[in-house]
Amino acid sequence: MNKLLLCLLCALALFAAVAPCCADTVNGVLSEERVVSLPNDQGKWYISVVGDSNDARYNEILGWFDNTPSLSNLRGQVHFCPVTTNTAIYTERYAPNVKALPTVRMQKPDGTVVYEAAGNDIPMTAGGLNSALAKAVNAIRGLRPVLPWRRDADNRLKKLERPQPQPQPKPDPTPEPIDDGGTPDMEPAVDLPGWIAAPLCGAALLVGLCWGYGRKLKEKIKAKLTPAK
Amino acid sequence: MKRIALVVLLLAVTVAGCNVPSAAPRPATAERPTVNVPLELRQRNWQGAQGMGSCTWASLVSLLRWQGRYYTADWIRQNEGDGEWPADMAERLDRAHVRYAYVTNGDVRFLEWACRTRRGCGITVKGGQHMVALVHLDAKWAAILDNNDVERFIWVPRETLIAEWKASDGWAIAPIYTPAAPLPR
Repeated sequence: MNKLLLCLLCALALFAAVAPCCADTVNGVLSEERVVSLPNDQGKWYISVVGDSNDARYNEILGWFDNTPSLSNLRGQVHFCPVTTNTAIYTERYAPNVKALPTVRMQKPDGTVVYEAAGNDIPMTAGGLNSALAKAVNAIRGLRPVLPWRRDADNRLKKLERPQPQPQPKPDPTPEPIDDGGTPDMEPAVDLPGWIAAPLCGAALLVGLCWGYGRKLKEKIKAKLTPAK
Repeated sequence: MKRIALVVLLLAVTVAGCNVPSAAPRPATAERPTVNVPLELRQRNWQGAQGMGSCTWASLVSLLRWQGRYYTADWIRQNEGDGEWPADMAERLDRAHVRYAYVTNGDVRFLEWACRTRRGCGITVKGGQHMVALVHLDAKWAAILDNNDVERFIWVPRETLIAEWKASDGWAIAPIYTPAAPLPR
């Protein structure tokens, strides 16, 4: 009886193993069902590092993306494309549009260039390049840069002792970052963007005009109010 | 008055320092086909050791080159060939440690995924007798790169291509690496 039971179990086990393989037969060829998770990374940005493979500067910049934590982290978030000048990809897709070599180019998935630096315009250090890329990403996201003076003021304020409410309120959960799944996550940039100088000058001009006109108006009113002698 | 002139001058100096737009030509519209494999990277069909055509491998080689896997592509060109069945090809690719995905059930979502992520895929046509590379698929149009005629992309209505593919066993296979960056805009 036991042997019969054992045989039955073995037969069941064999059937269970064979059944999935028979599930999908194409053209008389047994094909096994493969379960793979396809990467839905169409929203990923692209970073191309273009240059001559014999150029020390090109290799140095490539190395930054391997050895510097910030750039290495960024590399993991984008489609990273090292392109050398001896490839057809370079000849057809980069040669007509790069200004100099090496070139570092960051693009959105639709091809829009977010950052591009070539030759001597590439920052000297990995930190510099990371900062430049961060600025470009933040500018696209519309983030306001944290000004150095503001950062210092914030630090000073943090050090001040403030009355603590009792009991301590339960802290809110950290808000989820607004992310379209493609924009790389980078540290905020520090410097004031150059374009802001133009509206500032405009505002200064307006203030100057108003001030001058106000003075003249004041003098006129004063003259009118003063009794004629 | 002098003060106003000074402010205007300051403004002029500031604006004078603004960046001049790049002179390089930048296309305004999206690239077509999405998987725009350069001519030099397109692999022609070749005769394998058994005298058969190697359309499946040729399509794969073109797509691997598009995804920057030049060494893998060259290795396949030198070591593989002849006609293939889905399972046999999968087994060979596994042995070569190539990262890929495939379907044999005519699921159009696979084609859409392959073109959406700019990777492209090989698809069966001619009743399963031939494989070409699918390089574009949008709401209206599809483009294929035939390894027997690599000089040009062939554009067909989307529904026509899907009907052809489904009638040809619905086998599609895509290497999964980093696609070439899009042309700058």
